[in-house]
Amino acid sequence: MDKLPDGVADVVWIEGSPTLGKVTADIAAPMEGKPGKLWYFLFALALLGLLDLLAMATWLVANGIGVWGLNNSVGWAFDITNFVFWIGIGHAGTLISAILLLFRQKWRTSINRSAEGMTIFAVMCAGLFPLLHMGRPWDAFFIFPYVPNQHGPLWVNFRSPLVWDVFAISTYFTISLVFWFLGLVPDFATLRDRAIGKIKKVVFGILSLGWNGSHRTWHRYELVSLVLAGLATPLVLSVHSIVSMDFATSLLPGWHATIFPPYFVAGAIYSGFGMVLTLLILTRQSMNLQRYITIKHLDAMAKVLLLTGMIVSYAYATEFFSAWYGGDIYEKYHFINRATGPYAFGFYLMVLCNVLTPQLFWFKKLRQNVAVLFVASILVNIGMWFERFVIIVVSLHRAFLPASWGMFYPTPVDIGILVGSFGLFFTLFLLFIRYMPMIAIWEVKTVVADQQHTDAALAHAAHAGEGSSHGK
Amino acid sequence: MILILVVILVIVVATGVKHLFRMGMQQGYAPEQPIAFSHKLHAGDNQVPCTYCHYGARSSRHAGIPSSSVCMNCHNIMEKQTVEIERFKEAAQLDQPLVQWNKVPNIPDFVYFNHSRHVMSGAKELGENPNDTCVHCHGDVKNMTRIEQKTELTMGWCLSCHREHANIPTFTLERAAKRFSEAPKPPTGTDCASCHY
Amino acid sequence: MSDHRQGAKDKLVVLGTRRPTAYWKSTDELHNGVVDHGEFPGGLPPITVDYAPPAEGAVIPTGHDHDHDHGHDHDHGEHDHEHEHDEPGSDGPNRRDFLTLMGFSVGAASLAACRAPEIKAVPLPVAVEDMVAGVPNFYATTCGGCASSCTLLVKQRDGRPIKIEGNDASEIFGGGTCAAGQATVLGLYDNERLKGPQWKGKAAAWAEIDEQVTTSLRQITAKQGKIVLLTSSTNSPSLRALIARFLKEYPTARHVQYDAISASALRAASAQAFGKPLIPHYAFDKARVIVSLDADFLGTWISPVEFARAYAHGRRANGPEDAETLHVQFEPGMSVTGSNADQRVPTLPSQLGAVAAALLARIGKLAGQAVDPVTDPVDGKILDSVAAELWKHKGESLVVAGVNDTATQLVVHTINRLLGNIGKTVDLARPSMQRLGDDAEMAAVVDGINKGEIQALIMHGVNPGYDYADGANFAKALSKLALVVSTADRHDETNADVHALCPDHHFLESWGDAEPIAGYLSLQQPTIAPLYETRSFAESLLRWMDDTTTHYDYLREFWRTQVMPRQTGLTTFDAFWDHSLERGILDLGAPADAVTDGGAGDWKAALATIRDDAQKAGGDKFELALFESVGLRDGSDGNNPWLLEMPDPINKVSWGNVAMLAPQTAKKLGLSDGDIIALAAGGVTIEAPAFIQPGQHPRTVSLALGYGRSSVGKAGNGVGVNGFGMMHVARGGRRNWATDVTVTVTNRSEKLASSQTTFSLEGRPIVLETTREEWKEDKAKKEKGEPLLNLWNERLKGDKLWGMSIDLDACTGCSACVVACQAENNVPVVGKDQVQRQRIMHWMRIDRYYSGSEDNPQALHQPLMCQHCNHAPCETVCPVLATTTSSEGLNQQVYNRCIGTRYCANNCPYKVRRFNWYNYTTGNHAGYNMANPTGRLVLNPDVTVRTRGVMEKCSLCVQRIAAVKNAVVKRGEPMQDGEVKTACQQVCPTDAIRFGDQNDPQSGVAQRMNGERAYRVLDDLGTRPNVGYLKKVRHGQTT
Repeated sequence: MDKLPDGVADVVWIEGSPTLGKVTADIAAPMEGKPGKLWYFLFALALLGLLDLLAMATWLVANGIGVWGLNNSVGWAFDITNFVFWIGIGHAGTLISAILLLFRQKWRTSINRSAEGMTIFAVMCAGLFPLLHMGRPWDAFFIFPYVPNQHGPLWVNFRSPLVWDVFAISTYFTISLVFWFLGLVPDFATLRDRAIGKIKKVVFGILSLGWNGSHRTWHRYELVSLVLAGLATPLVLSVHSIVSMDFATSLLPGWHATIFPPYFVAGAIYSGFGMVLTLLILTRQSMNLQRYITIKHLDAMAKVLLLTGMIVSYAYATEFFSAWYGGDIYEKYHFINRATGPYAFGFYLMVLCNVLTPQLFWFKKLRQNVAVLFVASILVNIGMWFERFVIIVVSLHRAFLPASWGMFYPTPVDIGILVGSFGLFFTLFLLFIRYMPMIAIWEVKTVVADQQHTDAALAHAAHAGEGSSHGK
Repeated sequence: MILILVVILVIVVATGVKHLFRMGMQQGYAPEQPIAFSHKLHAGDNQVPCTYCHYGARSSRHAGIPSSSVCMNCHNIMEKQTVEIERFKEAAQLDQPLVQWNKVPNIPDFVYFNHSRHVMSGAKELGENPNDTCVHCHGDVKNMTRIEQKTELTMGWCLSCHREHANIPTFTLERAAKRFSEAPKPPTGTDCASCHY
Repeated sequence: MSDHRQGAKDKLVVLGTRRPTAYWKSTDELHNGVVDHGEFPGGLPPITVDYAPPAEGAVIPTGHDHDHDHGHDHDHGEHDHEHEHDEPGSDGPNRRDFLTLMGFSVGAASLAACRAPEIKAVPLPVAVEDMVAGVPNFYATTCGGCASSCTLLVKQRDGRPIKIEGNDASEIFGGGTCAAGQATVLGLYDNERLKGPQWKGKAAAWAEIDEQVTTSLRQITAKQGKIVLLTSSTNSPSLRALIARFLKEYPTARHVQYDAISASALRAASAQAFGKPLIPHYAFDKARVIVSLDADFLGTWISPVEFARAYAHGRRANGPEDAETLHVQFEPGMSVTGSNADQRVPTLPSQLGAVAAALLARIGKLAGQAVDPVTDPVDGKILDSVAAELWKHKGESLVVAGVNDTATQLVVHTINRLLGNIGKTVDLARPSMQRLGDDAEMAAVVDGINKGEIQALIMHGVNPGYDYADGANFAKALSKLALVVSTADRHDETNADVHALCPDHHFLESWGDAEPIAGYLSLQQPTIAPLYETRSFAESLLRWMDDTTTHYDYLREFWRTQVMPRQTGLTTFDAFWDHSLERGILDLGAPADAVTDGGAGDWKAALATIRDDAQKAGGDKFELALFESVGLRDGSDGNNPWLLEMPDPINKVSWGNVAMLAPQTAKKLGLSDGDIIALAAGGVTIEAPAFIQPGQHPRTVSLALGYGRSSVGKAGNGVGVNGFGMMHVARGGRRNWATDVTVTVTNRSEKLASSQTTFSLEGRPIVLETTREEWKEDKAKKEKGEPLLNLWNERLKGDKLWGMSIDLDACTGCSACVVACQAENNVPVVGKDQVQRQRIMHWMRIDRYYSGSEDNPQALHQPLMCQHCNHAPCETVCPVLATTTSSEGLNQQVYNRCIGTRYCANNCPYKVRRFNWYNYTTGNHAGYNMANPTGRLVLNPDVTVRTRGVMEKCSLCVQRIAAVKNAVVKRGEPMQDGEVKTACQQVCPTDAIRFGDQNDPQSGVAQRMNGERAYRVLDDLGTRPNVGYLKKVRHGQTT
């Protein structure tokens, strides 16, 4: 085929530019028809996980934190590791929708909806852990500043990063939720109009807030989403910066580091994209949406992984450097211990997954090989989980006084709750892709529309070519 | 229509919140006692000083409920006897607990309160007779036929007094403001460890 | 109820409860318990006390709090109640009086959030003078924990003894106690004690049993059958007199004293050297050079509290100008004493005698006395210098030996004589009566029982079934006897099938007296009415002589007739009695029949035997060294969770003993910590987990005694292994070592409950030490180092700034403070499993580090508790302000505000914060004394019992500060320095801990904090702790 005009060929994000009607039909299909076997299988698994979570959490609250493997030296382990892990996951969504929206990245359209959904669910999972890790969860309300109270009044400690967390995360969650819902409104309208069943009609009717697709509505809509995007963007950076301060503001070797905020944000995006990748690959297979979530999308995300992966690796290096260069004996020992101590395996796993894995994505072939991408994305998730584990446990288990050095060994409950959190996450996500438009119909349509212009342009270009040849 | 609903909602929520904040407060608690003992009669009309019966208040963290034998100190030599007084006599002689009184002013187990400290130092600071300091927390017992909890007995309530003595404003903002104007006094009286350990 | 019982009860109740102080104004008052009439004129006729069983409703009802945030007094109601159900058997006046004693008891009922909780209050029916609910009383008494008989002050609160403290009035023992002594108060509340007397395994009334015992004793005497009265070391003058009377009453009876871990050989040697079996009174404070042959005098030997105190006084470096002192320790494995020695020489147990001999040879040479030399068992150079040092300090040196071998002890006596120490550091005029056991006689008794020569055996305070070699057979052999009586407080290894079980009082329930040092008497008085239907041994003896006198009357009579005449000053007996009872101690001066160094003793023969032994024990076989454990001692209090959980001061293992091996040995055998090894010697084999112990002699295995009880109670059964089986009698002494031991490695292994697993400092400046020379320089330049830049704005300071200073030079690591803290602050016991998971709850721990070579390192003990930072890392991170720094510099933890994020613990560089992983009061997880109603009686009502899920830590005994503040407010005078004593400070025998107000430059703590040796741990983090340390001073080294 002849060479295309620049800036044309690479904007083909939806394969075989379908008609707008077909787009709607395709995307609505999962909600209207029955899902494939794969979906049922995954859902059953997820449900099992959820049950496991409920059981373990009950056991934990009934007996006390003692059922975990924690001890006098290691006060946090799986609990906060999972927390940070899930918060990290929760980053990609808003990043994709908000920042990429601001940058007018077209390729986000097919993935932003599910990415946002993922964000919501991940933050929900994350929110679970601050509660569960408390010795007295029934007194959790103490961390909200509420006055007047009987205590004199007694406030919370605004110097404590844990309090900052409470604000950061709740804000982030709210904004993400609103943003996500807002994006859904036009599609709910579409579904409302397509709906056959009475109930569906009513439900979608309510959800679509009386959307009528008029020009004015659209205008306001665009405006609001822009504003929200503007609001959400700083949050993407702030949330994980604040989470990182849980560690950075302490004085523990391995925690007490100024690079933590950027380092954590990068890590969060890295892990977030890892998870998006995993999910999208699963979805497009289970819901046969290959046409809308194309190799090109995956390829684009692989590139982001490569970038953020490099940032993370750089942070690792910096940590070791500053430990050596700073010359603080405790800091020094900590990093030697990280690489040679009893938890060295965790460290090397983390290096393998977060430093080496992304290097694959230098190669286009690998970027576009679904199998490779899937495995890689899983590795990224594992790697990022272990990064947090290493940061938390390895720093705690050998702190300042050798006399109080100890070891952490996870108990079945530790592991059960980790697994369970995935159960919760996937249950929610699978229900989402089953009952909601997991691709933003209206946004895809805009892209498709563009492409049809493109096709026209192509045709035109071809024609002109002929003409010129004729002219001879 | 909607307006009314909203108003009702607001009222409901407001009352709910109000009760939430008063949770666990027992101001006004005045249970029936197994023996109709009247403080009005004893402390009021006959002017028996508080710390005569509740002598613990002078030396101990507990004011203490007087032993039957203490009651007998007077009732032994008084003509007027009632059935209930007889029961006291018997109890004292048998050396057996007579009744279980219903404790009226209760503070939680994790709060350390010392009567003697408050009664004695209170008396010193206010230049009062120790027996008159009681009213500040227990109300006008001299006129209570049945004992009632007159005050909140919440942490905030305790602090209001402790702050007053350290001349620290009760309201957070006021406190903050004061910090600029003058160097605040050391809040020794409001240290957590003065009551919690 | 039988008459005598009635009588006994009257008195006990009266003594124990109606007038718990026992300072009678008059005997009439004693019997009638007159009530104080307060301001009321005229007063009451004395109330006649009549004991009818309690009416219904006399029981204080209870409910359970929704949350276990409660400690404080509100618990008592609960206790009483459940206590009721605990032993219906022991119904009767005792228990009920004990209930009423609870006085102002309250039981929390359902605590619905909004409804007013129904909380019941039950006043004491009859007011008792000087017993106001909530006000503690202190009673002077004598410790019954072991025969050292330290003098105590017992803190009694609402009729319950809750804390043991040393008696400052005693110039010998001082205010300190040992860990075991501290824990005795918990032993009182052991709900597995016998609830009453038993005849042939069935509960019976005292009357019946007395009937039976007396008749059968009479029959046996009639038939000229032998009777043996087997007791532990009995230094109570009154009891000794009573026993003498008993022996008169039953002419065929004989009194034998038996100690599980005895100083029998020492006494025997003294008999040869000085003509009288005695234990000299050693003056460690006067000695500039101390040489100890495996005598753990700072941990367990004879009178550790007294010795530790004296040792510290003599050695405590008050300034670089102080005279040098030297302490050399020859021992197989590292002991508490060894860990404090300037020079430790790992020595084979079989060669300790040879060491003595070698020293004698050298000193003999210096003294110009012909002593034929022996082959040096250890490096001769060391022996040379040690001998030289000793000789240099003639008359102010001291050689002691813990070896239970007569020859060795005789040689040691001879050394001290040659050095002219007798009468100076070795006092014969006032010998110690703290170990009176005679191994040879005990052996004879065992022999007699096996041969069937002995018909009746009365055992008091002994448990040979556990702690005598082949104890199981001993217990079996008892069935041959016509009458066996045991006064044990529980079904132990010995009394499984004795005829009469006549449980003795716990010493806190009992009257008595003691004479630890000749002429130095101390009294024992009850601090609580007996919990169960027990009876003091003395009273039992009286009954068995058909004498209905009570122990109390007997004791008074004895003091009236025997003791009072020996003193001058007080003329009326009541005055004398009250005075003695109040002070608890009475110093009568040296007894008339004081020994002076007479005979020489055949030390040449002793040398010969030692030489033979030394040669015999050659070869490369292992040797086993058995030592008395600092916590459990001889194991008699083996069901005491505080002691079981207390980590060993040296190896830091709790809940069990370990077979300690030298690192090189372990490497050779391919062993690591916890691998089970089998030790076989003399046909006995025991299995114990191995532990790699630096400083252990490579050819020895050390094993702590006192563990491995099989029948002592839920907590103690099967904890550790019993090493007593490996002991054997040789030359009239029970040897606590075995030669020709074969060590076989099994393929099994167990996880040790270690509270500390890393013993190296990793080159971190945490425990600092100095020498006199350095110190001089410091003093010279006085530079205290630049204060760190401070980015915080200073918090508001009160007029006081509490601080604590710990002298690492004085701390011996004896761990008494650890238990004291546990007792004072209601620190829960968590049990083996939780300790293995590194969840020990101790607020105060003692970190122990090694420096130098693995084969013979120097040890450092560092007591560590919350450092109460002025800029506390824990404070900034707590989201709910549950931990803050008070205006007086205390880091305050508010339990009821804490939600348990554990962030503070993570951010604490000292790792001193303790989290309640479970609810330790329910017994669902790791519940010990706190989980049972009797055990809870030991709780300190002024300290909250923490619920699960909250953080806790050292509060610098803020409740004690508050108590003093209250007292100050009332008396109107300012607080004196040292008036507030924390529990750990109070109990410390060596005065290593000082607490006080740093703002007062004159205060002891301020003085210390500004001294040259002062430093703060991890100060460079900018935490600004209010707890400071004084550097360890390394004394001069030989070699």
